[in-house]
Amino acid sequence: MALSPTPAPPPASNPVLELRGVNKSFGAVHVLRDVDLSVYEGQVTALVGDNGAGKSTLVKCIGGIHTADSGEYFFDGAPVTVHSPRDASDLGVEIVYQDLALCDNLDIVQNMFLGRERRRGWVLDEDSMEQIAEETLAGLSVRTVSSIRQRVSSLSGGQRQTVAIAKAVLWNSKVVVLDEPTAALGVSQTAQVLELVRRLADNGLAVVLISHNMNDVFAVADRIAVLYLGRTAAQVNAGEITHSQIVELITSGQTEAFGPGAGRNGVNR
Amino acid sequence: MRAAPTQEDIRRQNLGALLRHVHVLGPTSRARLTAGMGLNRSTIGALTTELAAAGLIVEEAPRDTSGGGRGRPSLVVRAQSQRVYVYAFTIGVDRLVAARVGLGGVILDRRELQRPGSGFSPKEVAEALGGFVAQMRLSAPHDGVCVGAGVAVCAMVRGSDGTIPEGPTQDWRNEPLGERLSAAIGMVVMVGNDADLGVVAEHTRGAAVGCDDVIYLHGDVCIGGGILSAGRPVAGGDGYAGEVGHMVVNPDGRPCRCGARGCWEAEIGEFALTRGTAKHTIGGLADAAARGDHDAEEGMRRVGDWLGLGVANLVNILNPQMVVFGGTLREVYLATAAQVRSRLNRTSLSVTREHLKLRTAALGDDAPLYGAAELAFARLLDNPLESGLAPAAG
Repeated sequence: MALSPTPAPPPASNPVLELRGVNKSFGAVHVLRDVDLSVYEGQVTALVGDNGAGKSTLVKCIGGIHTADSGEYFFDGAPVTVHSPRDASDLGVEIVYQDLALCDNLDIVQNMFLGRERRRGWVLDEDSMEQIAEETLAGLSVRTVSSIRQRVSSLSGGQRQTVAIAKAVLWNSKVVVLDEPTAALGVSQTAQVLELVRRLADNGLAVVLISHNMNDVFAVADRIAVLYLGRTAAQVNAGEITHSQIVELITSGQTEAFGPGAGRNGVNR
Repeated sequence: MRAAPTQEDIRRQNLGALLRHVHVLGPTSRARLTAGMGLNRSTIGALTTELAAAGLIVEEAPRDTSGGGRGRPSLVVRAQSQRVYVYAFTIGVDRLVAARVGLGGVILDRRELQRPGSGFSPKEVAEALGGFVAQMRLSAPHDGVCVGAGVAVCAMVRGSDGTIPEGPTQDWRNEPLGERLSAAIGMVVMVGNDADLGVVAEHTRGAAVGCDDVIYLHGDVCIGGGILSAGRPVAGGDGYAGEVGHMVVNPDGRPCRCGARGCWEAEIGEFALTRGTAKHTIGGLADAAARGDHDAEEGMRRVGDWLGLGVANLVNILNPQMVVFGGTLREVYLATAAQVRSRLNRTSLSVTREHLKLRTAALGDDAPLYGAAELAFARLLDNPLESGLAPAAG
């Protein structure tokens, strides 16, 4: 008799979220040019690129803060339109921005349910919110937080990041986008956040990780998408590329290993 | 020719399988057990009744019945974690850990002793662990039953009798560790290598659940490897397999404790890493590197490169689905992943790494401790009703 518990689902062959030929301009500045991006469940897709390559704009298009000028947005294989953050979260896309958007004067449970509180009749259902928050943190194997009723102002940088990530996971989300989650963290807290990022994907979520730190990218990513001057320079498996090739792609948009002219469609494997 | 299994054999096997299910997966409904074990409902009912009568499990109504599903909710079977327990120990070079671990893999009580720099003689180990057990016994419940003890040791272990031929420190020579510890705590203590037990733990309840081809690398002063191939441990003829730390990666490299040169652990072990720098731990070194200390950065880069090279060799030979980094290698991997991956992707064959996952130990530094507990539980899980268990009081 097989004793193994339910094994992790095999990587789906179809992306859960896919952008095709996305363009976005702000006035005369053409920020995104025909950008493609595929994100798969159970995988961490790292999004890398130099400052100004268009990472943040792309994320805001995914999250519905900006609407793309042209291009297609597919979710679970079906074309969708995303015009507001509410549209994105209805699909199951949650974004954790660098500033985390947590309220210092509220506790962890209040933050996780901020704006979406559970009610029982006229009053807040504190018990069930507390229970769900606790289960979510336990499901992520978070052991660094001593009490879920402590204020966010008393938490360390890594703990805040953890709370922000748990908040994004709480809503049965399918895709979680993390913008520089390890920036400004020390070594051991970075390690904890990276393990959390990996665990999200191993639990079946599709994770997009934006990072400047190549160690972080290689530590957890299954796939790496490189943006160069608003174009997709490459989307490759982390098992097929080296650090120096990624740096080449980030700085010049191409790398010898994949032949010259890795422009619009880039390397797509 | 072996005789066909008797009804008694089958019953014993089913009891063990059911208990193992609950031990590994946590509280499980009877309905799920029925589906998961491929037995019919009345058999599951009979087995749970027997195990409950022996005080190994309890059955209770499910707490949450709002989850849908039709009909009367199925009873949930839960291990008696507070009552049925083992003692698990780890012996590191400069750290001893003792824990009381309940059925289901719950650490109920835990003690630790550190002695940075010097280490322990076998006699000191036995005294310290004996003392810990005496303390922990006081806090155990009165109706509690201890069903075994296991130890994970940072040294090679002879498979046949649990003897340690050499290491962790100089005073260990042909040390009959199992006998010595058994005498010190008054019960049989099973002995295993820390990495060999680490891979079992990660496979049972850690990062490698559901993954049957795994290499667990445990970093300490030395580097140990625990290998599962097709779900079975690779032990070797005498039980010494997996000494990946003595894989030579750099024939002209640093001298190793074992007398050879350029062993993997001489290039990536904690001593090698911190030698020649002001830092004494890998955490300190990684921290300095993150703050821009040039020497520390260079050191970390070099170590990442050697780590990737060794992993590439192992991946080519064993074609694992997963490599798990534990002990100090967890931090080393996370801080040098760009080097590790790059070297691995350049050096290993593309087909051997195609489905490879690199992970850190989900059980953290306690992976060998959980593995020691699994070793201690093995006898109970093989034969739940005949391992000297007193029947439940009342």
